[in-house]
Amino acid sequence: MLDAISTLSLLALLLGLGLGYAAIRYRVKGNPLIDQIDAILPQTQCGQCDFPGCRPYAEAIASGEVEINQCPPGGQEGVDALAELLGVETLPLNQVHGETKPKRVAVVDEKVCIGCTLCIQACPVDAFVGSSKVMTTVIAEECTGCDLCLPVCPVDCIDMVEIKPTFRTYVPDISELAHA
Amino acid sequence: MLKFKYNGGLKLENPYPVDAIDLIRIPLPDKVVLPMQQRIGNQAIPIVSVGERVLTGQIVATIDDQRCAPVHASISGTVVAIDEHVYAHKSGLKGLCVTIESDGKDEWVDTSIGCTEHYEACTANTIYNKIRVSGIVGMGGAGFPTHTKVRLAEGCHTLLVNATECEPGITCDAALMQAYPTKVIRGIEVLLHICQAERAIIAIEDDKQDAIAALNKFCNNENITIEVMPTKYTSGAEKLLLKSLLGIEVPTGKFASDVGVLCQNVATVVAMFDAVVENRPLISRAVTVAGSAVKESKNFQVRLGASYDYLLSFVDIVEGSHKISMNGLMMGIELDSTNYSVSKNTNCVFIDQLEESKPTKECIRCGLCNTVCPVDLLPQQLYWYSKSENIDKAIEYNLLDCIECNCCSYVCPSYIPLVDYYQYSKSLYKQQVKEKQQTESARERYEFRELRLERNKRERAEMMEAKKIALKEKMAKDKAHKATVEAALERVDAAKSAHGSQDDG
Repeated sequence: MLDAISTLSLLALLLGLGLGYAAIRYRVKGNPLIDQIDAILPQTQCGQCDFPGCRPYAEAIASGEVEINQCPPGGQEGVDALAELLGVETLPLNQVHGETKPKRVAVVDEKVCIGCTLCIQACPVDAFVGSSKVMTTVIAEECTGCDLCLPVCPVDCIDMVEIKPTFRTYVPDISELAHA
Repeated sequence: MLKFKYNGGLKLENPYPVDAIDLIRIPLPDKVVLPMQQRIGNQAIPIVSVGERVLTGQIVATIDDQRCAPVHASISGTVVAIDEHVYAHKSGLKGLCVTIESDGKDEWVDTSIGCTEHYEACTANTIYNKIRVSGIVGMGGAGFPTHTKVRLAEGCHTLLVNATECEPGITCDAALMQAYPTKVIRGIEVLLHICQAERAIIAIEDDKQDAIAALNKFCNNENITIEVMPTKYTSGAEKLLLKSLLGIEVPTGKFASDVGVLCQNVATVVAMFDAVVENRPLISRAVTVAGSAVKESKNFQVRLGASYDYLLSFVDIVEGSHKISMNGLMMGIELDSTNYSVSKNTNCVFIDQLEESKPTKECIRCGLCNTVCPVDLLPQQLYWYSKSENIDKAIEYNLLDCIECNCCSYVCPSYIPLVDYYQYSKSLYKQQVKEKQQTESARERYEFRELRLERNKRERAEMMEAKKIALKEKMAKDKAHKATVEAALERVDAAKSAHGSQDDG
């Protein structure tokens, strides 16, 4: 009787200690769900979802405050992927936040630019290079096409140009191959 | 016979047999259209302007990119346009071209400067550079810049010269070897000199007996052997050539140079001879014109940029509707018209009589494709994954090792264009990888910016705080100082008044 009690107590103590240690040692920092949601979001950082960036929107989704259909750059595919991750019914993309546009890149008209640096401050991914009173330019590789630089430009010298397929980025269309 | 073997492959008959293969030199075209985008690398930038007179062999466009070769004027004359044309490419996209109108003189740039026949006195670097400025790219079809490929293979043990020409119907390499056997051998000697390989092997299929005889006649170098291989389709693929001749299997994602072998197409070797010994850049190539609608198939040595129409004017074509294709029946592409020009990797133009297209049917899972795949993949599995856009799974099944030889589509009883599906998933994969990189970078940059703004804000606040404290301290100090001064003054006053009262007293 006493043997059994002491054995079980010891066992409980040891396992308890083990679990307690593991809880501290392997504690997950932050909410892993936020990272998973953030991974699906397109990282355009455009703020069309009414949040200042993709991560804040991911945090809001994770806390259940907002709907999953507020990201136009992610498109319907993005909404579907979020619904699958969260195990909820998918929704149609909310048109209030804008519509999905093809991938674009900002181009500065270098003759017009006055070097006011407002776009540099507005760009969420630091894709502008320039300084006060000198011409500004865009690192095309890093531009997410978020449009945030457009409203701040006082001389309207930024254009959003659609990225056209080149010989190296061309993807053939298999819908033509689909058989009758 | 071969010591080693590879699985799969097809035994294909030449559909356009001729009695004798000959390389015909044709007159200069009136106009050439030179594409700026080559198969690999960035688009070259024109360095001539409209209206400028150019000489044959003059560089018209170049770019500072190791994966790109310069483009030369293939005739002398005047640049009449620098504009966009539709390329002979699956996409039907437009790209920049330089158009030159001939003055009929074919005046060359100075070709007397360079390595000449004393190339042995030149260092490997000088020769690499010569190859680079001569605009030479792999002429078998891949179009990889030769100088980069040769440099990558520095210190290799074997030089493999690919003269197999396994695509049925193409005979331009055979014609070239018959016409210039000495150039082939001397070109190999140049390559041996720069890559320091111990031996060179010319791999050639047994249906090219005339070419074999011509090479044998002129080959006196004991380091060069001619290996005759049985005629089988896809033998000419670089990695399969290594496997069947040397028994070396190139690992996934690696190249022949990684296993100490330099592989060059025979036409590239000839172009290299012209560049290094004769100081002439790549401005012409051999092209096969054949097809069921062509009365007699022929090989032409033609200037680059000449139009297909110009080429076709030298053969007799049967009237009727035609199917136009380039670069082979198996790996080539179908074109909508003959309104294109010969580029560095155009090895043939086929004009076939239009046949009723065979309707694609559902896959019946017969597994025939699996038996013919020369690189031991599972085409059927890849087809399902590609069709359902399950790219990860297709990659897992080694989609990237597919050489797009079309053996699987050729044998498919349901006429499924399997390779089109693989090309689709390959380009989709490439796109996904690029997008992922961009997303990753955008996330990092966004997070760093947030961090920076946060830091700036904090630093500013700290600075303000520090200033405030300093100001307070200063004020306190001033106050204390003032107090001391006042106290002193008071004391003085007190002393004065005490003194005064004493005097009074």
